Amino acid sequence: MKEQRGHFRGGRLLIVAAALVITYGPFSIADVTSWGHTDRQTSSIRDDLGRPFALPERTPERIVSLAPNVTEILFALGLGDRVAGATRFCDHPPEARALPKVGGLVDPNVEIVRSLDPDLVIGFRGNPLRVLDRIGRLGLPVFVLDIGEGLEDLAPLVERIGLVTRTEERAAKLAASLRGRTEAVAAALGGVARRPRVFALLYGQGLWTCGGQSYLDDLIARAGAINVASSLPKKWALYKRERIIEDDPEFIFVLAKSDPDFAAARDWLSRKGSLESVAAVRAGRIHRLDEDAASRFGPRLVEVLERMARLLHPERFVEER
Amino acid sequence: MSAKAARRLFWALVAILGLAGFLLSLLTGPVKTSAGDFIEFLGRYNPVQAAIFLDLRLSRAVLAFLVGAALSLSGAILQGYFRNPMADPFVVGVSSGAALGAVAALSLGAGVAVLGFPAQGIAAFASGLGIVSLVYLLSLRRGDFRVETLLLTGIAAGALASALTSFLLFMRSDSFDQAVFWLLGSFQLAEWSQAAAVAPWFGMGLLLALWLARDMNLLALGDEAARALGCPVGTVRKVFLGVATLLAALSVSVSGIIGFVGLVVPHGVRLLIGPEHRRLFAGSALAGGTFLVYCDLLARTILPSELPIGVITAAVGAPFFLYLLHRKR
Repeated sequence: MKEQRGHFRGGRLLIVAAALVITYGPFSIADVTSWGHTDRQTSSIRDDLGRPFALPERTPERIVSLAPNVTEILFALGLGDRVAGATRFCDHPPEARALPKVGGLVDPNVEIVRSLDPDLVIGFRGNPLRVLDRIGRLGLPVFVLDIGEGLEDLAPLVERIGLVTRTEERAAKLAASLRGRTEAVAAALGGVARRPRVFALLYGQGLWTCGGQSYLDDLIARAGAINVASSLPKKWALYKRERIIEDDPEFIFVLAKSDPDFAAARDWLSRKGSLESVAAVRAGRIHRLDEDAASRFGPRLVEVLERMARLLHPERFVEER
Repeated sequence: MSAKAARRLFWALVAILGLAGFLLSLLTGPVKTSAGDFIEFLGRYNPVQAAIFLDLRLSRAVLAFLVGAALSLSGAILQGYFRNPMADPFVVGVSSGAALGAVAALSLGAGVAVLGFPAQGIAAFASGLGIVSLVYLLSLRRGDFRVETLLLTGIAAGALASALTSFLLFMRSDSFDQAVFWLLGSFQLAEWSQAAAVAPWFGMGLLLALWLARDMNLLALGDEAARALGCPVGTVRKVFLGVATLLAALSVSVSGIIGFVGLVVPHGVRLLIGPEHRRLFAGSALAGGTFLVYCDLLARTILPSELPIGVITAAVGAPFFLYLLHRKR
């Protein structure tokens, strides 16, 4: 027994020695984390999260886009051949489908992003912040953009992407055209006497619609109509059937991915006992909006605006035909 | 086979499996890489490969190993502490309590460090210790524990802490990703700084546990008997509870709640190399680290996108827990 105690004492001494080594050891490990962090002296701007971003001198050659609308804008700026990777939802323009996939909006894969060796990563609201941070700490330049509240934020978004990709001129042109078309709709609708009531349905599970905080609400207002769900202080909201019957919308726009989806939604809305008393259903004023175009904060929103305005106020657009 | 030979076989097997796990982790990922690529990389530096092999995959495997070792050691300590093979930091509520502390610190915007410690880690430790003390007091009856009371109290306290954690998370934006991370655990965004933050504390905890292992052997005889044999029972118990909580809180603050590791691993190790605590602690740490490296490999390869690792450990651990519970009756 005595011998054994001695053995333990020796063991404990060893342990104390090891403890000293361990407490001081890790500082050398911590130095590893500062790898690959380079500070170049270039003009610094801030992204939409307020983080500093070193503006590149030339147009980046390998851009990774982490959101479908960003991909669309990059292609619209003529940078399609410089996009090195995109999400699996980036399907517009069709060429974007062939790009290497880095994951989805909420689950971009850090390792795949790194393997593409990008010189610019553009993130968007909806990408998890922790993932964006991790990509940034690998030493890759990350620029994060926030989603706008209305169509007035679209042209600035295009200009910001133009700035970080150093295609300011093309971006200014695109932004001007988007602004011009938006203003043309406003001019055509100038002084409309009556603004019809509109319900926008997101085809899928239940009566999902857009509340007052969504840019679609803004789009409906610009198209010369009133969103019946406008008073809901949310972006997306589940609407009650009784309230639609009470609101009695004159137009229903269905955000559907495809024509069969739209047909299914229209049948569901017109089914007996559902919403058959609603003005839009009785008059057959149910129209499709392309879900991808309407649910991505990109250039095609202006097309959606033009289509809605023409459907709501056809008399205002007669002279063009 | 003699007990000694069996023990030798255990150490050799765990060491080999551990090394193989690290190698597999280095070569597996969404980006296809072969052993040849890795050997080529060792010969010639390439920044992209360096980032993938070292900064992403190796740091991840090291962190998974450290967390697995810390959780298993914490489980082994708690099992000795409660004289109950069903104790583990998740079951007893420490992990959920620690997650609540970490998330609360984050929600309050506590990015500050106190005396060099990140506030998040301190809050995780404090609230983990709070929960385990509460469970301890509530399940103590006339100086002893009833197994059922301990487990039920721990599970109830853990559920309450998890509910509060979810509440805090869903008040913020970006919440889904965060909730999945904290409640089910993940090493997806592991990095060296996290491994460096965990390693020294884990090392200290392990050494402290090894140092006091003989006292833990005495505690197994009962507090009275241990006291009679000269063990300072009160102090030893306090230190062990502190170490077990610290290990669990550390793990949770870098990887979220990963359940059942501390239950399954020490139990298996005890079956293989016996109940002597110094061996049990060292064996649990090594085997637990290896176990979690493999669980993480599964978590990132089963589906095209990653699974939270807690899904894997629960799928392995919960049936085991049920088996233990059933066998006990």
